[in-house]
Amino acid sequence: MSLSKLTMNLSRNRTVLCSSAIAHNRWVPKREITYTNAQYAKKPDWNRAVSEAEKIVGYPNSFLSLRWLLSDEIANVALQLRKLVGSNHPLLKTAKGLLYNGKNNMQAWGLIVLLVSKAAGHTAAVPDMEEDKSAGVLHSQRALAEVTEMIRTSHLVHKGLVNMQPCVKVEAPGDMIAGNKIALLSGDYLLSNSCVELANLKNQDLVELMSSAVRDLAEAEFVEPRDIQNAPLPARPRTDGKGYEQFVDCTLEPLVVSEALGNARAEWTLRHVLNAGSLLGKSCQGTLKLAGHSEELQSKGYLFGRHLALAWQACLDREPFAGGSGGQFSLVSAPVLFALQHDPDMYSLIEKGLDNIENVDYAAVRRRVLAGPALEMTKNLQRDHSKAALEMLNELPDSDARTALANIIAAMQD
Amino acid sequence: MRSSRSFATMRTQQPGSMPEYQIDPYVILEDDLKDVYDYIRSALRRNTFQDNLYEIATYYFDGHGKAIRPMIAILTARAINYHMYKRESDLLPSQREVAMIAEMIHTASLVHDDVIDQSDFRRGKPSVNVKWNHKKVTMAGDFILAVASMMIARLRNNEVTSVLSQVVTDLVQGEFMQLGSKETENERFAHYLTKTYRKTASLIANSVKSAAILAEADEKVTEIAFQYGRNLGLAFQLVDDLLDFVSSAEAMGKPTAADLKLGLATAPVLFACEKFPELNPMIMRRFQEPGDVEKAFELVHKSRGLDQTQFLARQHCQEAVRLANLLADSPYQKGLIVAADFVLNRMK
Repeated sequence: MSLSKLTMNLSRNRTVLCSSAIAHNRWVPKREITYTNAQYAKKPDWNRAVSEAEKIVGYPNSFLSLRWLLSDEIANVALQLRKLVGSNHPLLKTAKGLLYNGKNNMQAWGLIVLLVSKAAGHTAAVPDMEEDKSAGVLHSQRALAEVTEMIRTSHLVHKGLVNMQPCVKVEAPGDMIAGNKIALLSGDYLLSNSCVELANLKNQDLVELMSSAVRDLAEAEFVEPRDIQNAPLPARPRTDGKGYEQFVDCTLEPLVVSEALGNARAEWTLRHVLNAGSLLGKSCQGTLKLAGHSEELQSKGYLFGRHLALAWQACLDREPFAGGSGGQFSLVSAPVLFALQHDPDMYSLIEKGLDNIENVDYAAVRRRVLAGPALEMTKNLQRDHSKAALEMLNELPDSDARTALANIIAAMQD
Repeated sequence: MRSSRSFATMRTQQPGSMPEYQIDPYVILEDDLKDVYDYIRSALRRNTFQDNLYEIATYYFDGHGKAIRPMIAILTARAINYHMYKRESDLLPSQREVAMIAEMIHTASLVHDDVIDQSDFRRGKPSVNVKWNHKKVTMAGDFILAVASMMIARLRNNEVTSVLSQVVTDLVQGEFMQLGSKETENERFAHYLTKTYRKTASLIANSVKSAAILAEADEKVTEIAFQYGRNLGLAFQLVDDLLDFVSSAEAMGKPTAADLKLGLATAPVLFACEKFPELNPMIMRRFQEPGDVEKAFELVHKSRGLDQTQFLARQHCQEAVRLANLLADSPYQKGLIVAADFVLNRMK
């Protein structure tokens, strides 16, 4: 890096950010993170990247702390859950998945928010008293990270209900009713607590922003087509080749849905911005808001979170198609959507599942996906979002927290 | 049980009747209330481009509800504005918002209740869980709450946001309390009253409190508003629980003895226990054995449970009236008194 560029970077940072993190790093030459050096640097494995990152922000960061486990409501949930063991209710799967689900465990979301908080530091407008010195983040930012996890968990739990409309046949309806009741209430419990935690932060811009993320999550479950259990299927691929651009702004407005459907990349982006990118983006934006940073940096924070969530999703979408893996895959995962775009006749396989996705011949879909360029395209998709997320990181000064974020992104690559 | 009984007898002396006024709150608030549902629907419309979501989310905002929560919120707001500012007492736009938000939070919880209780009918039409996928219905409830939270945030008032988010927590905790029957006989009535506060009264009390905060009322007036709403809300639920035993399915828009069928022991049953201790085991097993619902229904009618419930409701209404009388005399303040009478004497 040339000296002039270095000085430029430093001075730019000093005007945008003036925080303990900066002060701390003032004499350290700024390192640019690029996609290639992040990728080819010592490639950390996922678990190590995450556990090292947790130490940086003072872990445990999960809301599954004693405070929550000791509440009456959660004790009640545990009691009811025990009754459900042995039944088929998907809530059990959700609960297990929340506690351990490889790269998608819930702690990771709060962790990202805390790392962004620490990497950005806070402005002089925020009194030092409000900082948790040992972790280098504000108490309010830690609360926001909890809110992020609560909102996300609440959504996953609500998604795990069983549809028991009169017209639907379900086995063991008694268990399913009990499971639905407890899933609905647990989700509501988390959501209502997130409302109170947010209200305590006394920042109405933030309340509005995070509420809009809850709205987006709810919206995600209405993007059609859906089967009888509300599982998503891809829309019929469109051949008009019409380009579709949105998602460039970070706004409180709802997303336009219909135009994205049938266009592989737009549809995938829409679905996953709604059910993941929006929450992580808005949380990152919100944490910069709490630290007193400029609107401009807040927008960059939003984009970072959104790109990271999408890179993450693309990574998860590829896993079931990796060599030797025969895992279940989602019909709206990127490989399937790209495969459909490449080979629209494949939609006849998808259509069989419009009532119930279990009627889809997954083995046949898998063969068609593997035969085409879809996996390569998904890899590119992940690369694009990883790159974009890393670029945003360069807005922040070099620090251990920033490195940890870069490591997490790098660990997502193969 | 013993404590609740002494509570009831202690106050048996003067039932007293409500003063009568020629004021109908729905008439004096006609202009304020006529657009409530339109406004809520348009707020929801602005927040989604998906018609399937919009349809579920607006299903209960069809204009056929009694809008009792918005009515109470606006009535109190106007009474307090008058109390404080006399002539300059127009309803603030933010107070109108609070009225809408109250109805939205209430409806979001109804939508989730319908999934939990597997209900068939509400307000004389098939309930949401019969018409739509339960996952979508649940998400539609979350959506209504999220839009309401955005509206709350836009009021840009830290205290109001705190007060209204407390309501959301109360609603959920009340629902949790309804799940368990671990409490002993002695604790049961207190448990029931706390549950009733959280599930019904908190929303009314805290929405009128918000209206008072927005009027910049002092602590004393704000507390009057809160307590008025709390007492009115408790009375409202007591009467609701009573009507579940007496009105016809047609008048309620839902079947009678619905609470018993859901395994819930409300005030009439809890009072009836004093005379018929055989109700205790039925309460503990949540009326699940064959014949329990019918037997309990019969015993409630044989006991003084309904009278005692009515009496307790009356106590709370009288307290609400006393509080309303602490506010400056105005048509809206009179309206608060009439509203308490409505609550006590409504037939459905």
